[in-house]
Amino acid sequence: MTGPLTLDMVAGKMKEFGVSEQVRNNRIRITTTPEKVHDTIRTVQAMFGFDRLITISAVDNTMTLELVYHLTGPHRMVVSIAVGLPRELPAIATVSDILPPAAIYERQIHDLFGIMFRGHPGLARIVLNEDWPDNEYPLRKDWKPNPDTFYGGIKGERS
Amino acid sequence: MPEVVVSIGPHHPALKEPVNFRVIADGEKIVRLELDLSYNHRGVEKAAEQRDFIRVLPLMERVCGICSHSHSTAFAKGIEEIMQLEIPPRAQYIRTIIAELERMHSHLLWLGVAAHLIGFNTLFMWTWRDREAVQDTLEEMSGNRVHYGMNEVGGVRRDLTPEQLNAALARLPALEERVNKYVVMVNEEETMLIRFRGVGRLSKEEALRYGTVGPTARASGIDYDVRKDDPYLAYKDAPWNVVTDTHGDVYGRTRVRVWELQESLRIVRFCLENLPEGPIRVPAPKNAPKGEILSRYEAPRGELAHFIRTNGTDKVERVDIRTPTLANWTSVAMCLVNQNIADIPVIVAAIDPCLSCTSRITLLDNHTKKAGIISFDELVRRYRSRNPEDVQP
Amino acid sequence: MAVPHAGLSQRLVNWARVKSPWITVYNSGACNACDIEIIACLMPRFDIERFGILVKGSPRHADILIVTGHVTLKQASRLRRVWEQMPEPKYVIAMGACGASGGVFHGLYHMMDSVEKVIPIDVYVAGCPPRPDEIINAVVTCLNLLKEDAAHGGKEWRKKAVPVSGTDGKTGGVTP
Repeated sequence: MTGPLTLDMVAGKMKEFGVSEQVRNNRIRITTTPEKVHDTIRTVQAMFGFDRLITISAVDNTMTLELVYHLTGPHRMVVSIAVGLPRELPAIATVSDILPPAAIYERQIHDLFGIMFRGHPGLARIVLNEDWPDNEYPLRKDWKPNPDTFYGGIKGERS
Repeated sequence: MPEVVVSIGPHHPALKEPVNFRVIADGEKIVRLELDLSYNHRGVEKAAEQRDFIRVLPLMERVCGICSHSHSTAFAKGIEEIMQLEIPPRAQYIRTIIAELERMHSHLLWLGVAAHLIGFNTLFMWTWRDREAVQDTLEEMSGNRVHYGMNEVGGVRRDLTPEQLNAALARLPALEERVNKYVVMVNEEETMLIRFRGVGRLSKEEALRYGTVGPTARASGIDYDVRKDDPYLAYKDAPWNVVTDTHGDVYGRTRVRVWELQESLRIVRFCLENLPEGPIRVPAPKNAPKGEILSRYEAPRGELAHFIRTNGTDKVERVDIRTPTLANWTSVAMCLVNQNIADIPVIVAAIDPCLSCTSRITLLDNHTKKAGIISFDELVRRYRSRNPEDVQP
Repeated sequence: MAVPHAGLSQRLVNWARVKSPWITVYNSGACNACDIEIIACLMPRFDIERFGILVKGSPRHADILIVTGHVTLKQASRLRRVWEQMPEPKYVIAMGACGASGGVFHGLYHMMDSVEKVIPIDVYVAGCPPRPDEIINAVVTCLNLLKEDAAHGGKEWRKKAVPVSGTDGKTGGVTP
């Protein structure tokens, strides 16, 4: 679908999924809930032609863990779909079935933040080395390196 | 399926980057690819949360040694947008000049490395020698051949003197002539045509579905280019075109890159000749207001996305860096399926991987159940040996 | 401790090592700028091959190991293994700010504290990245070390680290 999209066009159709707001002249931000993310993305893909995933960003804002999915399309607009997850057991359905490049980004976020993506084809380690202990998520705000834990490298020669 | 690992080192001489390939193969044909990016993971995103805006820019630059200006500009312009700072036009033009010079040195570098992979070492030497002209210009302007340190939040740190402008303009004609020769060479030189044609083909639909960016995508006919889609710096003023090709294979990507070299030369020439007068920076506040931005930039390898969130202090709350090479890995994984193992070097090199931006792959053979170590050199030898008479001295 | 008069074959070998050292480069988690500058040394502008210096891939054939980057946790054991594969006498050049102190990456969670924790360093080159001229200077400094060590029968006589590039290597240096 080409041609300029306006906020009203998007906001009206997306009301069932969440609140939309205009961030910039070509950016729209939709806030939604974890259960609706998959459908939201499928809807923006089908209805407005946002067929390309730019990236999935994860943020720890000390209260929740947030995920923001950024998509674009031939009309060159960018939509950012934001969702908040609880810190204790953050889990959300994967979107790699409708957006194949999401698989890599979700793997990276899982490694660094510990968010579980249900249905992901393979959430193996990707950016942290193989000796990194489980359940330590370095990019969370409350993570500090423990001096007694072995995080990798050469045993006995860390510091 | 029983899988056997043939790992191809992390220690690879020609790419000069730690690359570990996990390719699940059936005889000579590749079945699947797996990725390991931890060799170069340095934890830059976490470090950025602890450094203020002056100290974080050198860190951002050093995420990658080839597209260093890309990272620092993407970050600086993101922060400036959150602060709602309008940087002066002279600063925009200077940033554009450095950005396009960086694109040129990166594409010339890539052309040399691709030539080296097919054994065409003469072209390797030629392109890198021409690259030295670009490096000299960058060194005169910024003081360093790599990691220029030109950016600060609010503008650029160094101005360009008339002598520097004239010296840079004086180098352009020779470069333009050399680049035109490369365009002719790529279109007519038999060696390259045979080795690159048909290898690693990505159709337009596949390229879109796998989220490919940059010259890799443009070679499949997709005309996404952040400089036109989401204009920034001086790209709205300069006369240039988005370069696309329809071949979709390594040959197409080569053509896109040499044509982009020509476009970059045009942009640099325009900016050097029309550099507006005025200040090079505006005073920036120490703290950034609370905000969030997705800062997109067209790095030499494709679209770079910095997602920045600020919280009212002089440090970012979060910077999430999505590099173009990471976006292109899905397409590598997909387009290597059903190809020969020996094609790996060229297909991987064709996306112009910047593994320090990204950071790896291992080889498993189904059939023979043999586990062994193949060095990347061995792969390159296998690739070249398929057409031994084409190898040039 | 001076070595008694070395035999002819040993002197020939020493001369060959100094005249044509083989170098291997290992990237231990760098941003790649240093690696690109090393390749730039091979290019017509700087051309170290005319000095007989060859950049070889395999550590088993190398006299000098150039380490770029600040060692990540993942690379530490591999770097150690690469160093162990090199035959004696071997020398290590640590490139750039990363090699010296960690550069901008000092103290991050996925990095070893310093390259020295993994392998012993002989020469440091300053710069971020060092220019090709400085790299050639470092290799020449290393060769001077090689010559001195050959005259003294090995490395043991040297207890102190070598100063940074730019000096002649004779004036002693700072203990690590």
